[in-house]
Amino acid sequence: MRRRQFWALVAPSVVVMFGFMLVPLYRTLRWSFERVNYGEAGTFIGLANYQAALSDPRLGRAVVFTIGLTVVVGVVCLVLGYVLATLVNGLGRARPVVLGILLISYVSPHIVGAVAFSWLFDSNFGGIVDYLLNAVTGGAFGEPLWFTSTWPNRLIIVLNVVWFMLPFSMLLILAGLQGVSAEMMEAAQIDGASPLQRHLYVIVPSIRGVLGFVVLILTMDVVRVFDSLIPLAPQSLTNGNESLMVYIYRVAFAEATRNLGLGSAISVLTILLILVLLLPSIRSVVKEARA
Amino acid sequence: MTVEIAGTDARSARTPVQAAGDVTRRRPRPGRSRMAVVSAILLAVTCLLMVFPFVWAALASTKPTDVAFANPPVFRYTPTFSAYVDLWQTTDFYLYLINTVVVAVISTVVALLVGIPCAYALSRYGGVASVVLLILALVFRALPRFAVVLPMYDITRSLGIYDTTYAMAAALIVINQPFTIWLLRNFFAEIPRELDEAAMVDGCTRVGVLTRIMVPLMGPGILTAGIFVFLFAFQEYLTAAVLTDTTSKTVPVFIATQLGQNLPLLQQASAATVLLTLPVVGIAFIAQKYLVAGLASGAVKG
Repeated sequence: MRRRQFWALVAPSVVVMFGFMLVPLYRTLRWSFERVNYGEAGTFIGLANYQAALSDPRLGRAVVFTIGLTVVVGVVCLVLGYVLATLVNGLGRARPVVLGILLISYVSPHIVGAVAFSWLFDSNFGGIVDYLLNAVTGGAFGEPLWFTSTWPNRLIIVLNVVWFMLPFSMLLILAGLQGVSAEMMEAAQIDGASPLQRHLYVIVPSIRGVLGFVVLILTMDVVRVFDSLIPLAPQSLTNGNESLMVYIYRVAFAEATRNLGLGSAISVLTILLILVLLLPSIRSVVKEARA
Repeated sequence: MTVEIAGTDARSARTPVQAAGDVTRRRPRPGRSRMAVVSAILLAVTCLLMVFPFVWAALASTKPTDVAFANPPVFRYTPTFSAYVDLWQTTDFYLYLINTVVVAVISTVVALLVGIPCAYALSRYGGVASVVLLILALVFRALPRFAVVLPMYDITRSLGIYDTTYAMAAALIVINQPFTIWLLRNFFAEIPRELDEAAMVDGCTRVGVLTRIMVPLMGPGILTAGIFVFLFAFQEYLTAAVLTDTTSKTVPVFIATQLGQNLPLLQQASAATVLLTLPVVGIAFIAQKYLVAGLASGAVKG
């Protein structure tokens, strides 16, 4: 393909993507150096916003919470996604139905899922899980404060994020399983490999690329989790379960001060964090493109 | 044969694995049937757990207000659909539903129109620009939404297009464009370049190759990308919460605003949840075939 043709074909998308992405991004960057109100021109205040952001322990807590959530959800989704994909892969005629059911939580709006989720735990609204937990354990756990105490709240947040991300990891891994070579599986079987050995030494290595892709998507999407935390972590500011996105939202948009400059500075810092997390993937894209 | 190149025909994509299954079937091991039973039970339990939150919300939506959120939960009641009637009569729910669908449809169509030529070019051009664009797209995909959406709030306000359906659709096209071109580019990369060359030898132009050969071949791939973009638009809460107010509000935002309200409104929220989930269930059942096959041939290799 000639260069002129290339640019003609990519032009609309590039204009849309860059035009409408870079202008807002540039604003965010500029705001991060300004004291600014919505709809007004800001005044340049240098690094003051960054200083304020970095000296506030709230940022550190948000980073730790967000990364912790990403790691836990990532590991759980990878392991359960693999198991689930293997089980689904073994299905015959039931497969479309099972896949359809499993996908519902992924394709529903996350905020809607999280609202439904919150009703399961909130004793003000039925709290069926509390009820069942007490019925089964005879009240051994009492009635955990799912929304106010730190760890019970973390548990339901992790459960919720796993709940809606698991189908996607399962789907990707299932797609990867389609590509595992049948000859290799047969060879492994003739050599007497146990099912576990076949998984560990044949299947997992041959879908390594897919697993890497799953990790990449999970990292991107869990770092950005926002919707579900609105109903699930209303007390996040006080119980330490505030994610970076919720922090930015509150600082820049929801709290009375509506400090756009500070919010933008945190946004810029988050972009830097995400770039660091993405570095391995970017490197592999470059490597693949050069090959 | 052509569809199989794209690898998006669900049946053909599954054959290698079925073959692998045949291998095990030829040499039955003791305990195999027990394993099948165990895995069936595990899957059934997982399915049940995965849909349970929605099932519970659906039950709540048919309960009378006083028992819907009773603690301990009430299991015996006379079902009523008054929450749905109230939802329809006392709120602008139908309007929010129309907004949601309109935003999703517009953004899907435009995203594909803009994304398809770009993805095709990216899959065929080996220059540095191609690599740079793909990496930037990856970075854009990962950006924190607020870095883009808050300035958009400011911009749409000053342009006087705040709280309009098309501004919201435009924002979603932009935000989802990186994903669209990555996914489509991987689909295109699966189609051999020889096909382009043959068509061009026969006198096709580049655009001719794209519209006459690639797009028909890519049918399932385009459908997969379309389903994803549609779902993303359908699900979007944050962008809608920031860029819309009253006239172009979408259902996810509506449901969020019912939170922290009194019980009758929560009843309506659960009814709204059910009404929004039902079409999604339909999409899930239609989409699963394309998503697995599509991802198998496309996204995964990227």
